[in-house]
Amino acid sequence: MTVSDAVFVYALSTCPWCLKAKRYFEENSIPFEAVDIDLLPDAESDRLADEALFASGSRAYPVVRIGDQVVVGYAPEKYAKLLGIGD
Amino acid sequence: MGHEARVQALREFFTPLVVAMGFKFTPDREIADFLLEQEAVLEETKGAPYCPCQGRTRLREADMKIVCPCIPYHRAHFDAMRRCWCGLFVHTDVTDPDSLPQIPAAELGLEE
Repeated sequence: MTVSDAVFVYALSTCPWCLKAKRYFEENSIPFEAVDIDLLPDAESDRLADEALFASGSRAYPVVRIGDQVVVGYAPEKYAKLLGIGD
Repeated sequence: MGHEARVQALREFFTPLVVAMGFKFTPDREIADFLLEQEAVLEETKGAPYCPCQGRTRLREADMKIVCPCIPYHRAHFDAMRRCWCGLFVHTDVTDPDSLPQIPAAELGLEE
């Protein structure tokens, strides 16, 4: 794991696939940061939602940033490939 | 109407709507119950049963496109995945929803 592999999960607290994405990184012992955008105060929520939209081109969640790559949706095979680990 | 009653009401309200569009509730009861529960909360707190897995903008026109069932606004995308984005609904012939991954519209060459 290097800085270039840093994992960040943009999530909604209401989204089960966001929970699954976070669980994937936990179960694979991959350090990650995550934020439930809908639980933030309005200004911060808007800022991070715009950040996720800019990265993904989508309002769909989860948005997972792995290094400089972005994966939209719960997609463990894509996460594993970007991280260079077996799934 | 109490919360549990509202969850059940949403289930009964959605069923004929999605059947007419070639969809049904996912056979994954755990996911369906969780999503309906979230939608009932969103309806209570935000005013409509928004998709639990799509972000609201506070712009009415954009947000109306993610009120469940949002299938008509994302028809080509959801037909290509054979499920809606959150997975509450799947095509009527689907028996194994776990085999249907989330695929961003852009990856399918579609507009969201």
